[in-house]
Amino acid sequence: MAAKKLRRAQLSQELCERLSRCQITTCQDFLCLSLLELMKVTGQSYYEVQKLLCKVSRACAPKMQTAYEMKLRKSVSPSSAFLSTTLHSLDRVLHGGVPCGSLTEITSPPGCGKTQFCIMVSVLATLPVSMGGLDGAVIYVDTESAFSAERLIEIAGNRFPTYFDSDEKLFCMTRSIHLYRELTCCSVLKRIMSLEEEIISKKVKLIIIDSVASVVRKEFDTKLQGNLAERSNFLTRGASMLKYLAEEFSIPVILTNQITTSLSNSPVIQADLVSPADDLSLSE
Amino acid sequence: MQREVGALPLAPALRARLTAAGFQTAQELLEIGPCGLSKEIGISKEEALEALQVVRQECHGDAARTAGGSGATRKFTALELLEEEQAQGFIITFCSALDNILGGGVQLTKITEICGAPGVGKTQLCMQLAVDVQIPECFGGVAGEAVFIDTEGSFMVDRVVDIAAACVQHCQLIAEAQQEEDHLKALETFSLENILSHIYYFRCRDYIELLAQVYLLPEFLSEHSKVRLVVIDGIAFPFRHDFEDLSLRTRLLNGLAQQLIIIANDHKAAVVLTNQMTTRIGQSQSTLVPALGESWGHAATVRLIFHWDNSQRLATLYKSPSQKEATIPYHITSHGFRDVQPPAVTQSAEGTGMNPRKRPRREEEKQ
Repeated sequence: MAAKKLRRAQLSQELCERLSRCQITTCQDFLCLSLLELMKVTGQSYYEVQKLLCKVSRACAPKMQTAYEMKLRKSVSPSSAFLSTTLHSLDRVLHGGVPCGSLTEITSPPGCGKTQFCIMVSVLATLPVSMGGLDGAVIYVDTESAFSAERLIEIAGNRFPTYFDSDEKLFCMTRSIHLYRELTCCSVLKRIMSLEEEIISKKVKLIIIDSVASVVRKEFDTKLQGNLAERSNFLTRGASMLKYLAEEFSIPVILTNQITTSLSNSPVIQADLVSPADDLSLSE
Repeated sequence: MQREVGALPLAPALRARLTAAGFQTAQELLEIGPCGLSKEIGISKEEALEALQVVRQECHGDAARTAGGSGATRKFTALELLEEEQAQGFIITFCSALDNILGGGVQLTKITEICGAPGVGKTQLCMQLAVDVQIPECFGGVAGEAVFIDTEGSFMVDRVVDIAAACVQHCQLIAEAQQEEDHLKALETFSLENILSHIYYFRCRDYIELLAQVYLLPEFLSEHSKVRLVVIDGIAFPFRHDFEDLSLRTRLLNGLAQQLIIIANDHKAAVVLTNQMTTRIGQSQSTLVPALGESWGHAATVRLIFHWDNSQRLATLYKSPSQKEATIPYHITSHGFRDVQPPAVTQSAEGTGMNPRKRPRREEEKQ
């Protein structure tokens, strides 16, 4: 929305040309200027510039919906709101399962079973809706090279022996889990940014990133000057893109995090808050 | 009265031509007609007419100001302000300890900022306020509507349904205890669908959408004149990434703060913002401070900081022009934002409309 060109914001042609001569071509450039700068650049009076601001704002502002409309829309399709984890007490606590349309973070010390949980949830997502799955593909971004395809087949075969009764069904399931090995922050971010088209073309219904913490902690040493800002920049950019994908396609996104000791006297704390606005956090 | 041409809100090119032609004050411009002006400085007659209308408007605005009438700047005596403040409503939060330290609740026409670590309850309080602002006047509320601008995507409709249902139930209990006519009449319109229909939700994905929405807010508020609460949940999130130029960020945030102050005053609405916490790395230790820098600290009138103490959630009133600093514990229950110990529900307490501190609105409810 921010990159919307001014031409499409219904400004007059000559005004757009005049603005592009000052390198103002998108709504973002326009709205970042102060009123006085806008007057200088457009050559118009104060009141005219205010009207222009309203016009450009209307082009990029979000649509209004009342909370009632949102509730009605949700109640139309209630079953698609969660991905059940098949662990009944966990589902009860989460009011149904891993929610679609928002980010879920799983944290724990090493060896507790985060990757195993992710592998199991990937199997669940490929199951048909009648069995509680999402009947779709899975995108699995692996930064620790911890994903084991053999383990995947073992879980599938043992958990749902009646469904995966033939090799063909197993191969069908493995074909729909797309694994990406990314080893640097840069490549993880690039992968996240490129997910939109893949989600549409491959009919993806679940995104798993295992794990964000390992790649961030490898590259950013927070004791160094400036690294904290860069790290939070990277994290918030990734988080906002993932949130957009989760909301736009109404799919669950699962991230895993690590627990580390802080160097002060306080007890063990959570490392790397991936995004201060994550919706749910499961700590083991 | 003698405004200089350079200070008039005309187009810069026009101003340049006027000064080149020798006009120095607005008075000189008013003496000449549009045809004369167009001939002198070489612009079309329509443009000259427009310019003269702008100048006339400005000069009349000036005259009204110097005569002490109501112009763009407002003049009050402190007594008038006191009366206005006393008659003003507060939006209660259902946590009486928090209402007490705030002096009655979230104040209208002021900007309140809520800072806190993730998961501590900022969005919960915002959702609670969006429901509480709609409480009818006979129950002690302000009977307004709410605008909810969400930048983080943490607004959950199901949760608002729970909070609203608990609020309606609470009002029903009061109405049954009191058995007054207007209570029952108010309850007819205070239903779940009505509450949800009067929460206007905007989802802004980046700072440009947020800026655009705030530019459009005055128009929206004039159309929906009953709005008494504007919540921006997550003012820090869109500004914390993708900003290489920190001075631009400070400028945009200051502009945003100014507009919100104007909106709060003009429309008699409370503005509630939520902010994140960030780590400030000091000499030997690091502390948690509100995000967006020191200059943003001046934007809000009232600042609340939510934090944890072992497993108890605490709210600290950090900055307020009229109340002293205090810390209180609170709870988030399935009904919403609540006190740690539910206050004793007695007949007299309910009689003052759920908030004993608030100035009573009706004679019969005076204790």
